Amino acid sequence: MTGGAGAVLQARDVHKSYGRHQVLKGADLAVEPGQLVAVVGENGTGKSTLLRILAGTLAADRGEVRITGTLGYCPQDPVVNDSLTVGQHLRYFAAARRLASLQRADELVELLRFGQFKDQAVGALSGGTRQKLNLTLALLHDPDVLLLDEPYQGFDWETYLRFWDVVGDLRSRGKAIVIITHLVFEQERFDVLAGLADGRLTRHDAPTEDPHGGH
Amino acid sequence: MAVTDLTSRPVAPGQAAWRQFPTAWRFALRNQARNRLAWLLLVAFVPTWYLLMLAIAGHKPLTFRLFATGQALTVDGGHLTLISAGLNSVTMVVGFAIFAAIRRTLAFDKRLVFAGYRQATLIAAKTCAIAVIAATVALYTALVLLAFWRPDGGGWPAIWAGFTVMALTYGALGLLLGVLVKGDLEGFFLIVMGGLMDTFLQNPLGNPLANNPVLEWFPSFGPMQFAVGGAFGHRALWGHLALGLAWAAAFAVSGLVIFQIRTRTRRHPT
Repeated sequence: MTGGAGAVLQARDVHKSYGRHQVLKGADLAVEPGQLVAVVGENGTGKSTLLRILAGTLAADRGEVRITGTLGYCPQDPVVNDSLTVGQHLRYFAAARRLASLQRADELVELLRFGQFKDQAVGALSGGTRQKLNLTLALLHDPDVLLLDEPYQGFDWETYLRFWDVVGDLRSRGKAIVIITHLVFEQERFDVLAGLADGRLTRHDAPTEDPHGGH
Repeated sequence: MAVTDLTSRPVAPGQAAWRQFPTAWRFALRNQARNRLAWLLLVAFVPTWYLLMLAIAGHKPLTFRLFATGQALTVDGGHLTLISAGLNSVTMVVGFAIFAAIRRTLAFDKRLVFAGYRQATLIAAKTCAIAVIAATVALYTALVLLAFWRPDGGGWPAIWAGFTVMALTYGALGLLLGVLVKGDLEGFFLIVMGGLMDTFLQNPLGNPLANNPVLEWFPSFGPMQFAVGGAFGHRALWGHLALGLAWAAAFAVSGLVIFQIRTRTRRHPT
């Protein structure tokens, strides 16, 4: 699944094993600016492993990953600090990203509708709200390449639709987005479906009736 | 696979990296201070432990030779036991609080580094927060001691200093175990059993072989000698206090190196 020279994310021949269990056997992926790619596959096929390798939080055994621009990664399970509030998380990550203001953070909190929890400790929040924060932390610096591992887990329908609004906005601004998903009924939202099976990615162009994800 | 350190480019490079420190320091302190069980342990356990140990030890006179100076001392065995009990309290409270805080946030710290936090800044913030927590617990433990015994002259400052170095040592051990040990239970067991063995074997009332040279290699040896030397022998054994600090530094450096390894991420070539 290698792509053209314009790709901002390019993975070639990625291999990864856990002990004797070979998970990735030469996965290739290329994503261009403004492209929305779904990585689909059965449980245990290595989708999260692939995304972690693309993000750089896990080392591959072999292969090459090239990323142009800034990267945002939303892990599958929210990696947050239960003893800090939502607002403190935003300030902490704004400091990490050296952001001059919290403007983008406030926009995302508004879009995903969890502003009322800003002063609450994250340990006291529902799974869905924790996931909203998890996603917001990945988007805080408006990255050029986004890797999202099942980002809408625990979202209610309204938030789910708002998530796609956010994705639509990002795509229209030329951001490259890779999403791990199980939602086969939402295939028309994506530009490319990359099926992961037997350690390799196979590209299928998604249905094109509504390529920019209306709902 | 060609990979190096992964951090996203700063969006606003005008904001210098050193400005990350106050945020990291404030949240590291808050994170470590929010352990309610540790505070409960501190408030309730320390006086209870003093009371219990004093009731067991009584006030029998005890003659022993202070290992550091060779000086023969005859002291109230209960008072000596209070020093042991105080040292033991700080090992457990500080060790537990720091271990729990570090272990709970390791994945979060890794995400912060991934997001662009400088590891050195996080490490410095954590080290400062540990030092503040350790010093606070040591001060409280030394103050509660005054309810049971008023040492003469410079005795109390020496005990306080010994407690502080002990707290720093076990805070650093908590850090090391927090980044090293896989399960909570193993960490708690190592801190509790390590602290008990370390401190009580130094007390000649409980251990007739407390002058055994092997005890010199225990982390509490230096602080215990400094506290006892100051409280009963009216000597400031600075070398022994420094020995305790060396243990603290060794644990801290080991823990921070492992923290650095466990939170590092990779940057893909562009």
